[in-house]
Amino acid sequence: MSVFKHEYHAYEGRVIPRSARIGVLVRYGLSEAWSSRITVGLFTLAMLPVIVDLVAIYLANNSVARMLVSPGSRFPLQIDDKFFLRVLSAQCWLALVVNAWVAPRLVSFDLADNALPILLSHPISRFGYVLGKLIGLFSILSLVTWVPCLLLFAYQAYTSPGAWFGPNLQVAFGLLAGSVLWIVVVALLGLALSSWVKWRMVATGVIFAAVFVPAGIGGVITGILRTKWGFLLNVPVMMTEVWQRLLGAPAVMRRDLELPDAAIAVVLLAAIAISLALLNARIRAREVVRG
Amino acid sequence: MTDRIIFENVSKFYGEVLGVNRVSLSLPPGVTTLVGPNGSGKTTLMNLMTGLVQPSSGRISVLGLTPGDPDRFFREVGYCTQFDSFPRGLTGWDFLFEGLLMHGMSGLDAHRLAYEGLERVGLTEAAHRKIAGYSKGMRQKIRLAQAIAHHPRVLVLDEPLNGLDPIARAESLALFEELSRQGMHLVISSHILDEVDRISDRVVLITGGYLVAEGSIHSVRSEVRDKPMQVLIRCDRPELLASRMFTLNHCVEARLHPDGHGVFLRTTDIDEFYRLLNGIATEGLVHIEAVAPADDDTRAIYQYLIGSEGGTS
Amino acid sequence: MGVIELEGLEVRLGGRHVLSGLTGELRGKAIGLLGPNGAGKSTLINTLLGFHTPSAGAARVFGLDSRRQRAQIRERIGYMPENDSFIGNVSGVRFVRYMAELAGLPREVALERAHEALFFVGLGEVRYRKISTYSLGMKQLIKLAQALAHGPHLLILDEPTNGLDPIARQRMIQTLREIRNAGSIRLVISSHLLRDIDEICDEVMILKQGRLAAICNIEEERRSHRNFIEVETVGATDALSEALRERGCECACFAGGRMKLVMPDSIDVRDLYVAAAEHGVEIRRVHHRRDSLEDIFLRAMDLEPAKGELVRL
Repeated sequence: MSVFKHEYHAYEGRVIPRSARIGVLVRYGLSEAWSSRITVGLFTLAMLPVIVDLVAIYLANNSVARMLVSPGSRFPLQIDDKFFLRVLSAQCWLALVVNAWVAPRLVSFDLADNALPILLSHPISRFGYVLGKLIGLFSILSLVTWVPCLLLFAYQAYTSPGAWFGPNLQVAFGLLAGSVLWIVVVALLGLALSSWVKWRMVATGVIFAAVFVPAGIGGVITGILRTKWGFLLNVPVMMTEVWQRLLGAPAVMRRDLELPDAAIAVVLLAAIAISLALLNARIRAREVVRG
Repeated sequence: MTDRIIFENVSKFYGEVLGVNRVSLSLPPGVTTLVGPNGSGKTTLMNLMTGLVQPSSGRISVLGLTPGDPDRFFREVGYCTQFDSFPRGLTGWDFLFEGLLMHGMSGLDAHRLAYEGLERVGLTEAAHRKIAGYSKGMRQKIRLAQAIAHHPRVLVLDEPLNGLDPIARAESLALFEELSRQGMHLVISSHILDEVDRISDRVVLITGGYLVAEGSIHSVRSEVRDKPMQVLIRCDRPELLASRMFTLNHCVEARLHPDGHGVFLRTTDIDEFYRLLNGIATEGLVHIEAVAPADDDTRAIYQYLIGSEGGTS
Repeated sequence: MGVIELEGLEVRLGGRHVLSGLTGELRGKAIGLLGPNGAGKSTLINTLLGFHTPSAGAARVFGLDSRRQRAQIRERIGYMPENDSFIGNVSGVRFVRYMAELAGLPREVALERAHEALFFVGLGEVRYRKISTYSLGMKQLIKLAQALAHGPHLLILDEPTNGLDPIARQRMIQTLREIRNAGSIRLVISSHLLRDIDEICDEVMILKQGRLAAICNIEEERRSHRNFIEVETVGATDALSEALRERGCECACFAGGRMKLVMPDSIDVRDLYVAAAEHGVEIRRVHHRRDSLEDIFLRAMDLEPAKGELVRL
């Protein structure tokens, strides 16, 4: 046989299990996200505060180094739950910036040229598609939030002269829970808004707007109606309270302006629900035109 | 001459990119089909003809008019593009009616002509729905309607049958034939060559921005001299028939059909060929089933003149 | 077990019954899906892919239910949609490979098969460029490549030759015929171009207004003999037609020497030539008219299908 005929035949070989297919989405999504230099840049930017915090912890625990840096003065920095509250807040807001850039990259390319009919004609459900994107986004945002935070926590526990780990365990829990809560909400929001807006740059702007514009409205409500409920729309204020409570740090707001846990939970759940509704409407293989 | 579309040495460049180069045409009334690969300059040619772009050099005159006199020019020309975009939020009726108003006619006239246009393409029921909800075929029809509604004398159609089901295609072709009988100039670009053959009077072949051939299909075919006429004969003993033809010293080339029941014969003298064939058929040596010209159509001309190097793939 | 089985399939969209009472079994190697715009072809395809759930009845692909065994069906199907559908900023190879992996192929195998599919459809070096830079023909080919790469058992193609120039269209038809002839992959093709369906498919399903108008096996139709003949002549056509009528043929004469005949079994084409020679008539064209797909389609459109009734032509 000297001439080879290339015919096309059906495939009868090994097939990867259905659950592993979501991993395919995750892999391709991540490679798409990281292929952009801006992603790398933003990520680097998000790591800078971590490095600063690392140095701060080192200095706080190392009197010799402290002497070298600022001799004769008592080092004002105290590594406690208030410190970690600042660290967590900073990382989470930086995560928002990363999310605003990465989430559109994950979704808009698929929607821009109508790839969804082909994508969804594969054995992956709409739920699986969204889940795959979410896992990818979640892992990137984790690298910016709870991973470095917990590492800082571990470093502090390691270098601290006294027994620091035991009494401050709630801080670790708060770092993890606070991060995860924030990431899930903004990741879903990011994916949902990206799927509704045509251009990536606009999607980035819309994500920021979705977080900060209600704050303005909330401020108006608070100012005019003289009520604390306006702060429910103010995401920065609200999240700071959430983190503070999770970390066990002392209260940031005045007593009478504090928001009840239940109210905050309702707002966060509503945000998640809206995101899911937006995704449900947009991630479809076919649009049904009525009338 | 004021009943022709005339291109005199027209070139169009988009910066450095070539649209068409040194095209000269003179099209009489009737159906002219524009044939060529994607990216060959067909759309550029049509845009030049309808006055949407100006040539980089050369002159164009459509029925004696130029875009320099827009009131009259655009009244006489109707253009149905291949591009599927519409102003947002319009219904089919709005699209037609307001387009007609832009020609400067009275509301009553516009109303009458819009309705007539819709009737001609068969969209009267769907006219008050938004175009965004139309199927692909309906959008094609509404574009066609707006091109013919103002009764132009020149109709330029870029792939007008795209997306239409077989019945709508046949109806559209019948409409084009009727319009051409009324003395209109129709310039139709299409990739479906056998439909083209059914209605066109002349064909214009273009590739890579250059004009390759122009004229009636038969005259173009007969001028392609390096490829003699080919006839397909289906019979029970094709080899015998071929050898008989060679014995009579007439054929230039014989090729057996892959299914073994026919032979393609090439000849430089088609009349003599048929005379000889009729003689062989009566001899009864070979049982002839069917006889048909194999390349006297646009598809064959396309193959010969543009061939596989014409594509951009 | 047929390729596609429909049992009283009913699909409602946006409150309307888009498909109702579809019942039938399709077994062909290549199945054509025909019908006027709005007949429900796209809806049927979407239902088979699991994008729509039937409101009543069932649709089965290779015996798998479209509602309950969606993922399994999708593992075995390759889909080539009608409209543009791709991810613009990745290369052709990456896109095809991505799709193959989503279909379940392991990573290394996916890359191999992606290149195989790209080679088979004829995309060369272009495969390393971003899809957003592709021409229309290439975009059609990349859609076909991604449908093939995971080696499905069934290919569903919606208007595969859409927008392709004549040469690319021939190549696409040739590729699809190769796939059909190889035998392990079945095809379902929805198209408005009857000629394409005629060349590739052996069985057709015709829809009209959401109901089944006909299921027909083209192969069988082609094999049936009818002695309808069309000839083109030069010479004393009237005398010839008289002579033929005397011999028992039904004869109708048209302009340009064209004649349509129905010959009794006792007469064959040779007798036609002999009679022509006797009357000094030269026959230039002989064409047996078999039921073309166009006739079948038009007949299906004229008939009023009762609910659930299947018309076998």
